[in-house]
Amino acid sequence: MEVRPRKSMEVVTLVVERSVLIVDRSEETREVLSTALERHGVRTFSAGRAQHGLELARQLHPDLIVLDLELDDELDGSTGEAIAPFAQESAVQETPMVLLGSVRRSAARLPGGEFVRKPYHYGPLIRRIEELLGNRAEIT
Amino acid sequence: MPSLFGIRGSDQGARFELEDPATRLGRDSSNAIQLHDTEASRQHAEIRCVDNVCTISDLNSSNGTFVNGEQVRQHRLASGDQVQLGSTLMLFTCPSDQSEEDLARVIDIASPQQTDDQSQIIHSVTQEEGSRIFEFGTDAPQDSWLARARSNLQVMYRTALAVSHTLDIDQLLQRIMELIFEWVEADRGCVMLVSPESGAVEPKVRRTRKGIRPDEKIPISKTILDFVMEKNEGVLTSDARQDDRWNPAGSILRSGIREAICVPMQGRYDVVGVIYIDTSTSPQEVIQKGGTTKFTEDHLKLMIAIAHQAALAVEDTRYYSAMVQAERLAAVGQTIATLSHHIKNILQGIRGGSYLIEMGLAEEDQSVVRRGWKIVEKNQNKISALVMDMLTFSKEREPDLGPADMNQVIGDVLELMQSRAGELNVQLHCHPADEMPTLVFDSEGIHRAVLNVMTNAIDAAGEKEEPGRVDVRTEYSADEGVVSVTIEDDGPGILADEKEDLFKPFISSKRGRGTGLGLPVSQKILNEHGGRILVESTSGQGSRFTLQLPAVVAESSSQTKVN
Repeated sequence: MEVRPRKSMEVVTLVVERSVLIVDRSEETREVLSTALERHGVRTFSAGRAQHGLELARQLHPDLIVLDLELDDELDGSTGEAIAPFAQESAVQETPMVLLGSVRRSAARLPGGEFVRKPYHYGPLIRRIEELLGNRAEIT
Repeated sequence: MPSLFGIRGSDQGARFELEDPATRLGRDSSNAIQLHDTEASRQHAEIRCVDNVCTISDLNSSNGTFVNGEQVRQHRLASGDQVQLGSTLMLFTCPSDQSEEDLARVIDIASPQQTDDQSQIIHSVTQEEGSRIFEFGTDAPQDSWLARARSNLQVMYRTALAVSHTLDIDQLLQRIMELIFEWVEADRGCVMLVSPESGAVEPKVRRTRKGIRPDEKIPISKTILDFVMEKNEGVLTSDARQDDRWNPAGSILRSGIREAICVPMQGRYDVVGVIYIDTSTSPQEVIQKGGTTKFTEDHLKLMIAIAHQAALAVEDTRYYSAMVQAERLAAVGQTIATLSHHIKNILQGIRGGSYLIEMGLAEEDQSVVRRGWKIVEKNQNKISALVMDMLTFSKEREPDLGPADMNQVIGDVLELMQSRAGELNVQLHCHPADEMPTLVFDSEGIHRAVLNVMTNAIDAAGEKEEPGRVDVRTEYSADEGVVSVTIEDDGPGILADEKEDLFKPFISSKRGRGTGLGLPVSQKILNEHGGRILVESTSGQGSRFTLQLPAVVAESSSQTKVN
């Protein structure tokens, strides 16, 4: 039996595509974040409402979720009602989160998330998301 | 049912219903109402009731039966009468036998046409005249007990009036001092209040009689002041040197006060201050007038009563202003919270747009620059609208009147709103009036007013899953001289409890998305034009806002423009 050497062409490099789910009420924020992240080779999905965001999270298992803490139109989201579904959802328990809000206590329901205070600058936010994605790639 | 209510004696607090035609009262247990009173006779009195008409008869009791302090053998009782048997005092009450619904039937406001109303007004008294009830007539007895009582009543009545008519504490105390000076021969007087902050007693108002130098110091003994404040008792010092209570401090000695009255201002909860008056009589005067004093115990008693009234008013005023202040602070806080939330969102938008522009420039990607610019521009419009709304709302302004075409104004607004409507999947339909002359109005203001109402309509219509619809209609009525703009949406409608707050500033039903300025601004602009906004809304079917204003046809072009 002749053993043929493997052609180098056949070596398949697996490019792991990283994905981020953006759940934010503001269409502008979604547009800016997705445009910027896509440039860095990150795949993005966005939702404007909590329920839609949750469905996407269950289906797509993103590597990171950017979550607006003021989803329910409440002035400062301090009751945390808007993000309650995310706190109860097992599918996202292990997913790193970046929480965008005005008051820190609105993030209390998701203690594992990283709080970023509004109004934020996009440069540092994008870099932080990159870092969190990088860390995750090393672990997995 | 008629009843007796014990207000003094062993049976205080007990209530006895007079349900039988005849009820006996006495110490003996055989009585229907047994009195636990050794001063009452075994069988003291009897009350007979026929159709709520009650008559009390004394049963030859040893100590007698009294109604309103007068001894009676037999007496027909009226509601509110005080019945005394022995040392037991009871209040008789007899409810009227008419229920409330009967009242409308039995009270008939007769119109002048009705012949059975023969009444004529024979005398009427104005509020002003009524307030002179305690003033003396010329026939009033001088220097009698009655005259003094009337005088006291008058002072109290005027005090009550004074304290009920002002909410400014200084003014109120000034008035009280004036009243006191009108009525008592004082040389100097002042009111001191306990500062709510420091707890220190601070002079608030001072007054001196004519002839006394107004800049003369009023020496007030600290000893008296402390006594009045601590014991909560009014004091009258007719001659300080003979009063042992003040001896140790001896400050009165030096100041030479002969007579003074100092009373606590006792409110509901605390002593809020003191009122002090004094007068000095020179030795010559004492000899001339035979040593009579100017201040009496009557003065002291009345001063205590006046001070109590004043204290109640001070407490009320403080409570009221604290409440107003708290409400104002809360309103300011709410306003700032709403505005800063809104401005923060705009700022976030501008930062996002700028970030895209920066990225586009770095990568030389025109399309990204354009997308960024679009976001910046949108937010620029938002902040400009917010500033305009704030300016419109913040001050009284005159509308900038000029000839303009209402249909044109509405057309401009519609054009501006197209993109927002498109985003929310809402169809805009315009129905301009066929006949619309050039009118005189503040076109920029009305533009703003319509824009705000339309923004709400589009937001409301866009809330539904299915496509929404907003209809805008202009109408002109030459006969009524009215022009109106109607904006109708097919959104969820306005909830009943939201209707009340519709035009209140900084209250938005859109929560974080609205500034709460839109409708108040629209209403203000319409009001400036002498117009109004009418709101009709059906829950689940939508809302209709009609902006109505007087149509002033421009002089130069009264001809009708046909669209």
